[in-house]
Amino acid sequence: MKHNFFRPRLLLPQSPGSVLETAAIIWEEGRRKELPRYLFLGLCFNLILAPAVFAATGGDLSKVQAYWLAGLGLVTVSLSIYLFFVMFVPEKF
Amino acid sequence: MQAPQDFKTPRMPSGKRETRRHTPKANMSGLYQRAVREAFIKLDPRTTVKNPVMFIVWVGTIVTALVTIDPNLFGTVQADPGEQRILNGLITLILFFTLVFANFAEAVAEGRGKAQADSLRSTRSEAIARKLLPDGTIQEISSTELRRGDQVKVIAGDMIPADGEVIKGVASVDESAITGESAPVLKQPGTDIASSVTGGTRILSDELILNITSDPGQGFIDRMIALVEGAERSKTPNEIALTVLLTVLTQVFLIVVATVSPLANYVQAPTTIAILISLLVALIPTTIGGLLSAIGIAGMDRVAQFNVIATSGRAVEACGDINTLVLDKTGTITLGNRLAAEFIAVNGHSVEQVAQIALDASIFDETPEGKSIVLLAEQEHQAKTTFDPAQAEGVEFSARTRMSGTNLPDGKEARKGAVDAVKGFVRSRGGTIPDQLDAAYEKVSRLGGTPLAVCQDNDIYGVIYLKDIVKPGLRERFDQLRRMGVKTIMLTGDNRITASVIAQEAGVDDFIAEATPEDKIAVIRKEQSEGKLVAMTGDGTNDAPALAQANVGVAMNSGTQAAKEAANMVDLDSDPTKLIDLVTIGKQLLITRGALTTFSIANDIAKYFAIIPTIFAAAGIGSLNIMGLKSPQSAIVSALIYNALIIPALIPLALKGVQFRPLSADQLLRRNIFIYGVGGVVAPFIAIKIIDVLIPFS
Repeated sequence: MKHNFFRPRLLLPQSPGSVLETAAIIWEEGRRKELPRYLFLGLCFNLILAPAVFAATGGDLSKVQAYWLAGLGLVTVSLSIYLFFVMFVPEKF
Repeated sequence: MQAPQDFKTPRMPSGKRETRRHTPKANMSGLYQRAVREAFIKLDPRTTVKNPVMFIVWVGTIVTALVTIDPNLFGTVQADPGEQRILNGLITLILFFTLVFANFAEAVAEGRGKAQADSLRSTRSEAIARKLLPDGTIQEISSTELRRGDQVKVIAGDMIPADGEVIKGVASVDESAITGESAPVLKQPGTDIASSVTGGTRILSDELILNITSDPGQGFIDRMIALVEGAERSKTPNEIALTVLLTVLTQVFLIVVATVSPLANYVQAPTTIAILISLLVALIPTTIGGLLSAIGIAGMDRVAQFNVIATSGRAVEACGDINTLVLDKTGTITLGNRLAAEFIAVNGHSVEQVAQIALDASIFDETPEGKSIVLLAEQEHQAKTTFDPAQAEGVEFSARTRMSGTNLPDGKEARKGAVDAVKGFVRSRGGTIPDQLDAAYEKVSRLGGTPLAVCQDNDIYGVIYLKDIVKPGLRERFDQLRRMGVKTIMLTGDNRITASVIAQEAGVDDFIAEATPEDKIAVIRKEQSEGKLVAMTGDGTNDAPALAQANVGVAMNSGTQAAKEAANMVDLDSDPTKLIDLVTIGKQLLITRGALTTFSIANDIAKYFAIIPTIFAAAGIGSLNIMGLKSPQSAIVSALIYNALIIPALIPLALKGVQFRPLSADQLLRRNIFIYGVGGVVAPFIAIKIIDVLIPFS
């Protein structure tokens, strides 16, 4: 049976056993669906990047602004990698 | 079985080619409503990511939408948040419409193909097929159950259940469902040009036994539907090269814009994220990025409107790069129906005697040439049939004997045919060849006609002058092709003298006389070995290797299945002259793409001068604001509005194509640089200034 990522049963586990089951399903879905996995990993990576941005701006930005700015930087780098990919494998696009 | 009388073959469609379309006509009503809906559906990032330039705009739109909600999201802005929100919202809206307009262009082009596919689909309906079983009995099954190699029987009124080859019977078939031509076509076995039938067409008289040549879903109409719908559309080499160029430009501008913020801060002219995104979108080539796929789809559509089905966009594009055209003489350069114009007597015979023997030799000849000989002999020289045809025997023309004639009731043999063949026949009967024969042969050849010698038993009577008429207007078209750098080579089975006269009259660059089918492939290979791209037409099974070898092979729809499968284009009207039009369409496609790319990149220069001086006026470059734009906000909004509006404004040009002019590559380049390059710089300057005056930004 195909699992639905957004089914309430998955978000609200009823017992410790089902928590593990839910985690396993999320992991399995993450392996299958690449975009949510990359987004999740990007957001996690941004948690590491954001303090560096916050430190570099010398307190001009709030922590939230630093997090968003780091995210924008990450998006820009991702776009640049994407464009390089198009340049090298243009027939896929 | 008697052949029906109400057909004409070969079939030539009526009316101006430009006015002919598929029948039934594609239903274009509601095209724009569907395109608008599709334009929004195509905003799905999984679709947009296939177009790198527009994907950057898509991401930019999301980011500007975020700063519309919270202008201070990426850092505190100095301006009033309310005003900033309005500006950001406006930028978001314009970027959103830039995406929608680009998607709309593609959707309109695709919609035209889909409408054409729908009209073809309406011709394809499930039919009941009479399958012939090995024991000779007939089983009625659905046409979808037929497989390649099955044999079926079709009778008058039936729809032909699948593509096939006629193996028995003669019948007239209505092919208007795929060709738009209402005149029925004769189908019979064993002939290269009339033995293949297409599923979905209707048999009008008699009956046929067919050998099915395609599995369900693989038939000719199925393949046509898939092609015009764009389901099998893959990028052509030129499109791939242009995609790389546009991506490189986008990458460069992305890096420039991403690194401009620290420099702006350094020169005391800080910018916001929304302005940087606007700058990026204005600099990247969005115009050509948005129209690129529409231009390619429209090129396929233009070919389909000429009743030609291309197997790929690559084939259409290759037409534009063609260097050499290999053309058959008969039917392509000349009208094809050679007619007897004169009898020339030799060997002491009178013209009347030649006419009498020619009439005797042609009485069973059903070809247009044979009929014209009978007509000329009877009407101009009062010749009459002096024997009972029922007692005589007709001798058919064959490639081996190269002559035809009649065995008369009194035992005499009247023959007409190629001069060499008739000479051999006369010698075999103990006759001699008069010197006058060669003189008459040469005379006819020098007139560009085909000489046919006439003899009875061992006596040569004279020569028939078969006049070949060069199609009107071809000379001008070959001149145009020459100016475009396309070489034309004529292939003919005629002798060298006739071939040279016709070649000179038609204005082709080169010719090959007494050509065999093998010569076709040899000439293609020779040209290709010199790095040239070659196009040719063909219809017979013996043309298939050459069609496959040529860079552009156009098969006639009336041709064999083998020819159609080997070619990368099929002409539904079976008009070999159309190859010249296809070269024009291919060139038009390439010129349109080149012109719009030039225009798009030239536009970027103007947008650059509109935005940069106003944003960095504080850095002392305000004097570069040569258009005198009111403010940075006004300049950005004006440039972006122009950027969005130019896409729908150019949709008609992308779909219709730039008007084709037969110029050399250098002349075309100069012309395009002037119109689309200089025009591409000047037009945005004027348009942005007008928008700047009209919008209420201070």
